[in-house]
Order: sequence, then structure tokens, then C-alpha cells
Amino acid sequence: MKVRNIFFVLLMIFVVLVISIPTLLGAFGTIPPEHLRSIAKQYLFLSYNPYNKSLWSASPEVVAAIVWDYRGLDTLYETMVFYTAIIGALMLYSEILGSKDVIGGKGLSFIVKRGTAIVLLAILAVGISTVLHGMITPGGGFQGGAIMAVAPIVALIVFSRTFLDKSKLTYAHFISIRSLALLGVILAPLIPLISNAFIFQNQAKSLPIFQSPIFFTYPSTIIDVPMGGLIAILNIFEGIAVFSAFALAFMILLYSEELSRKPLEGEDIGY
Amino acid sequence: MSTVISFIENLVFIIMGIIATTSIIFVVLAVQSKDLLKTIIFSAVQSTLYALLLFLLFAPDIVLVYVAVSVGLLPLLSILLVKKVGRYEG
Repeated sequence: MKVRNIFFVLLMIFVVLVISIPTLLGAFGTIPPEHLRSIAKQYLFLSYNPYNKSLWSASPEVVAAIVWDYRGLDTLYETMVFYTAIIGALMLYSEILGSKDVIGGKGLSFIVKRGTAIVLLAILAVGISTVLHGMITPGGGFQGGAIMAVAPIVALIVFSRTFLDKSKLTYAHFISIRSLALLGVILAPLIPLISNAFIFQNQAKSLPIFQSPIFFTYPSTIIDVPMGGLIAILNIFEGIAVFSAFALAFMILLYSEELSRKPLEGEDIGY
Repeated sequence: MSTVISFIENLVFIIMGIIATTSIIFVVLAVQSKDLLKTIIFSAVQSTLYALLLFLLFAPDIVLVYVAVSVGLLPLLSILLVKKVGRYEG
């Protein structure tokens, strides 16, 4: 046991030295880097440049512009991976999905419930504002969705499952909200294709592939607030999709043991 | 005088170094602990330190996801799991 501990400590010291010595000797170059890379320069120069609208994205937040405009397809595939992962998790429990729990819980005490109700509103407000400000401040769809997802989980624990089973909000609702949001993520970038634009392009850029009679771009501003066109719409859809996905996953996990044992029965003989 | 200026210039990196080293201690504690609930709390502390580190590295977008997922959702999921499999290891 003692030898094991000594080896463990030695391993930790070794790991720290292996990481820190090359860094101190300058293996990663100067930290912080003294000059920007050329592609970063281009992004910073073009992403919100009202005087040169040839390749702009109308989003003051350059990270959001890269995520949803310049590298929009990457984010679409990322969303697809997340979608598939949650569908896989739901498939494992397909026998009990949407059924009411067998054990009726009462939840926690009255004081905790009222306190949580106030905190839940605050969590949702922070999440929604992160989603809606995705094109001007750090944040966006996934970030806001992940913040909002804490709310239903805390609610499930504090108010108990019985509260959810009694309410009008069912499993089918969550699934349909999520599917509609994901459909939005796929369909919204297709709309510019009817005019002179490419897929995942929120502003008309001076690269026409063919001269279409229809001219359509997403609005770059609403009144005088920068909206980032497509970026704001995609952020909202992505936020809803992530929120409902996490909520669904935790709804299955918080089933009582009696019910969640059912899909596991007979696993040893295969599906 | 110049040493003082260079010290202030490098202060943020010194803080980052301290945070990174402290996080290693919590990782070791999380690995060594036999009480799984303590393990979850130690790894949550380590995640909080990493969130600070990412904030100092000018990545606020990542911080927003990291805090919600690794300090909110992941400990919750793990505690749920520990509740089902038992709290003590071995």
C-alpha cells in the first residue's frame, strides 16, 4: 500500500514536470503570442466591418461569427453528434419512456420549494439572456441551453417526479419541441439559397454564384441593435434543442429504481 | 523598478500557475478518496479552478459551458449514480 502511494506521488510529480519544463523552455513559443496568426487577423478584420461588407457576418462577437457563419457546417455536425447521443440514450430506455413513475414522491419541504421556484426563474433568465445575446457578448445557443438545463433537473429533484407526471408537460412535448428546434437549425440556413448566397451565410457576400432575381438576407440590425442575422435565429433554436435534450436525459435518469430496472431485464440474453 | 513592472506583467501567469498546481492537488485527492461523494466534490472544485483558468486565458465562451456542465450537471449526474451504487468504494 505504501509503495503504491509513493509511486502515485512520483507519477504526479513526473506529469507536472513533463508539462511544465517544455513550457518554461519555450516549446509553445512566447506566451502570450506577440502577433496574431494571419487567419485570425482576417476574421477580426472582416467579421464586423461595416465599411467592407464583402465578407462580413454582421456579428460584433467574432467567436459567434466563426461558430455559426464562417464555420457553420462544423457546428451543424456538432449539433448532429449531440442529437445522436441523446437519441441513443433514449433508445436504451425505450420501454419505459413517457410512462408515469410507480412511486409517488412528495418532494422537499414547502420552504425549499418556494425558494427553488424563485431560483429557477433566475436560472432560466440567465440562460435566456445568454442565448439572446449570443451575437454581442460571449455565449450562445449551447452555452445558454446548458445553463437553462440546470433548471428542470433541480425542479425534478425538489418538486419530485409526481409534480411532472401531474402537469401537462409530457415526454412527447419535450421530444416535439426538440425535433422542431433541430428542424429549425437545419432549415434556417437553407433560406438564403433562394437568393445569391451560400448555405450557412447570414449576410449577402460579394461572391454571387448565380444571379437570382430574389434578394434576401437576414436582417443585420433590428432598430439599432446588431442582430447578426442568422446567428441570432440559430442561437435560439440551438438553445431550445440543448435545453430539451438535457431535460429529456435527466427525466430518464431520475426514474425510480423499480421502473428503470425494467429495460435492463433479460440483457444477458441480448436484445 | 523594471523587476517590479515585469512582476506585474507576469502576475496573471503566476496566478494561472498557482491555480493549475492547486487543481492537481484536488485531482490527487479525488483519485485517492474512498468516499465517492467526496470524490465528486473534489472534482467539482478542480472544475471550478479550471473555469477560472479558462477565464484568465480569455475564453469566456468556454467558461459559460464549462461552469454549467462540469460544476452543475456532471456532479448532479454523478451524485445520482452514487446514490444508486453506494457511497463507499471497496
